Amino acid sequence: MMPVWQVALVLNLVFAVGLGLGYAGWGRRAAALDRDVDAARAQVERLERERVACAAGARAGEQQWEGRGVVRAVYPQLLVVTHEEIRGLLPARTTSFRFQATSPTVRTAVRVGEPIRFALRGTVLDDAAVVAVKKW
Amino acid sequence: MSATLLAALWAHLAACVLLMGSCCFLLLAGCPRTPTAFRWDERIAAWCRLLVLAAIFSGVVWLLARTAVFENRPDAALEARAVWHVVLDTWPGLVWLARHGLLIVLGAFMAVGPDVTERRNWIAVRGEGLLLASLALALGSASSHAAALSPGTAQAVASDVAHLLGTGLWLGGLLPLALLLWLASRDAGADARPYAVLAARRFSRVALIAMLVLVASGVLNALAQVESVAALMGTTHGRLLLAKLVVLVPILALAVVNRTRILPAVAAPRMMRRLAAFVAVEAGLALFLLVLAAAMTLTTPARHAPPTWPLPFRLSPDVVLDVPAIRWRVLIGTQLVVGGFIALLVSMLIRRRAKVLAGAVALVVFGVGIGLPPIVVSAYPTSYRRPLLTYHAGSIASGAAVYREHCAGCHGSTGVGAPPLPDLRSAAIARRHAGELFWLVTHGVPRRGMPPFDGRLAETQRWDVINYIRALGAAESAKTFGGEVEPDRAWLVAPDFTVAVGPLAPTALRDYRGRRMVLLVLYTLPSSRARMSELARMYDVLWVTGVEVVAVPAHATRDAIGELGAAPPILFPVVTDGAADVVTTYRMLAPGPHAELLIDRQGYVRAIWSAGSDAIQAQVEKLNAEKSPPPFPDDHVH
Repeated sequence: MMPVWQVALVLNLVFAVGLGLGYAGWGRRAAALDRDVDAARAQVERLERERVACAAGARAGEQQWEGRGVVRAVYPQLLVVTHEEIRGLLPARTTSFRFQATSPTVRTAVRVGEPIRFALRGTVLDDAAVVAVKKW
Repeated sequence: MSATLLAALWAHLAACVLLMGSCCFLLLAGCPRTPTAFRWDERIAAWCRLLVLAAIFSGVVWLLARTAVFENRPDAALEARAVWHVVLDTWPGLVWLARHGLLIVLGAFMAVGPDVTERRNWIAVRGEGLLLASLALALGSASSHAAALSPGTAQAVASDVAHLLGTGLWLGGLLPLALLLWLASRDAGADARPYAVLAARRFSRVALIAMLVLVASGVLNALAQVESVAALMGTTHGRLLLAKLVVLVPILALAVVNRTRILPAVAAPRMMRRLAAFVAVEAGLALFLLVLAAAMTLTTPARHAPPTWPLPFRLSPDVVLDVPAIRWRVLIGTQLVVGGFIALLVSMLIRRRAKVLAGAVALVVFGVGIGLPPIVVSAYPTSYRRPLLTYHAGSIASGAAVYREHCAGCHGSTGVGAPPLPDLRSAAIARRHAGELFWLVTHGVPRRGMPPFDGRLAETQRWDVINYIRALGAAESAKTFGGEVEPDRAWLVAPDFTVAVGPLAPTALRDYRGRRMVLLVLYTLPSSRARMSELARMYDVLWVTGVEVVAVPAHATRDAIGELGAAPPILFPVVTDGAADVVTTYRMLAPGPHAELLIDRQGYVRAIWSAGSDAIQAQVEKLNAEKSPPPFPDDHVH
């Protein structure tokens, strides 16, 4: 039969190894699950933006983002807006966006100081352009 | 329910502490070799088995009582689902699970009754007991007040663990020592006397170290949880700590007598019996100390509880600044006290100390008698109360309206009333605690004809007025301000305000702290139009140097941005909602139709211009060059 001191030693070893393995395994799994959930959520949001863009007649691969903000300046080709967070694109800040060349009426519908809801369409931030503006 | 919780917590804490200390004492005393020592060793091992059972049982009762408190209904304590929910879904529950898991393993290990005749086995069994009991005790810190402290969680938890283990080493060893000494002092136990003497001497050394650890970690815990004298004297948590210190005094006195008088002569059976009795008394007092410790665990930490000052006076060294005549008296008094303490130190080093000691005490008493009375000022229960509202432009503007209606009649529209009423803008008023002003506003000063306002003004309105009085004082001091930044001299706190641009999610001035400086521009159209255009053109450069411009119109409308025009485009935030409060507050610091205030990254006003200045960039550079910025100001006035 195993002496008591060896039993105590094995018990402590089991504790230490079990604690280490359990923590490492559980911690890694929890982090991996978090990453999976974030990725799935981002994918769902992206698909939703593509679906909205597609319904509005966009080309394949384009997404549509919705934002809310206050117009700070209007240039012939640019709209400067202080906006809230645009999910999947930008945090809250002041940004200048291009007007889409095919929607010339959008530019005339905005005035400096006006709170607006706007829609951006494109594949990435760099080619995103304002396609629609409504009063907030 | 709180009595059950306290009783269960005390029983659990006491069982865990005694368990850990007993295991440690067995190892300290060493492997027994005589029949009496063997019997004692077996009896303590059996006592440890009982303690494990007691710890688990009281732990379960504590969990049930805790469940009832969490669920806010007593019958939840007997609902398996509610208890399960607490164990698995709350942090204290998980910690409870881990600790009781360890206790169950320890209990099973002890219940097997392993053969310990061989020395190696004896050490392994006792050592395993100590290890598991220490882990179970120390893990308690993971769900203590210390674990809730942020930042500095790791340090606070480490100090709490040291405190718990120190308690275990010292208090847990007292009862086994008393039993051993009592057994060995009898004629039948004479064979164990050398063993008992050795154990007592070893324990004495360990207990001294444990006591030093306890005091050091206790001081650190108190600094973290209590923070101030007001919290120590004015909250339940603080008073429990004071009670703990009071109980500690006789314990320390007993320990000193035991260590210096009895221990050297402990080999004699009579002294052994006396030491056993004294140690048992010490253990009894220490167990009472644990009741206070358990009660402290169940009360709100002093730093979170509003203190109620218990004395009608407090010490205010600031008085010296307001009344120059008393400076000499205070100086002489403090010097006498310092001299007294030096004499006290000298008396410890020389042989014939009685006369020097008496002189030292007389000096200290005399010095205190001379120096203290002038700096004693009246205090009230709310003296150290933290204001309910932050130092915010909204509160100051509301306070201004309340002041005009209720206070200006006597105190004047600017805070200067007819004598003998004090000037509310003076430094003396600025040095009175906000809580004292709150008491005076609430209860009035009947002998001076000031009526109480507790019935007429809501509590928030009274705090608004106090914020306004503080702003009046700040405005008076701000008269010395110019357009030049004084390096490393930040003292004028910028009242916080909300930056609301149209219907966008609002931000606040304090959101810029630690990130950007703010140039606050109070403007009036059309006179400020040229300056606003200039600022719009400079904005890029200012932004690059770390400045955000926040513009506040004197007469705000929803179309404030549009009114500024489209060219040049104004891209910095223009406050469109709540601008009136900002204007009311900051006009106190900088009157006039147009004003610009430079607020540093810490939240202090550093320069004020009544018109546009070309020197803004130079002043910004000075702020950028500051090596040691001051700490962030408190959100509340003092």
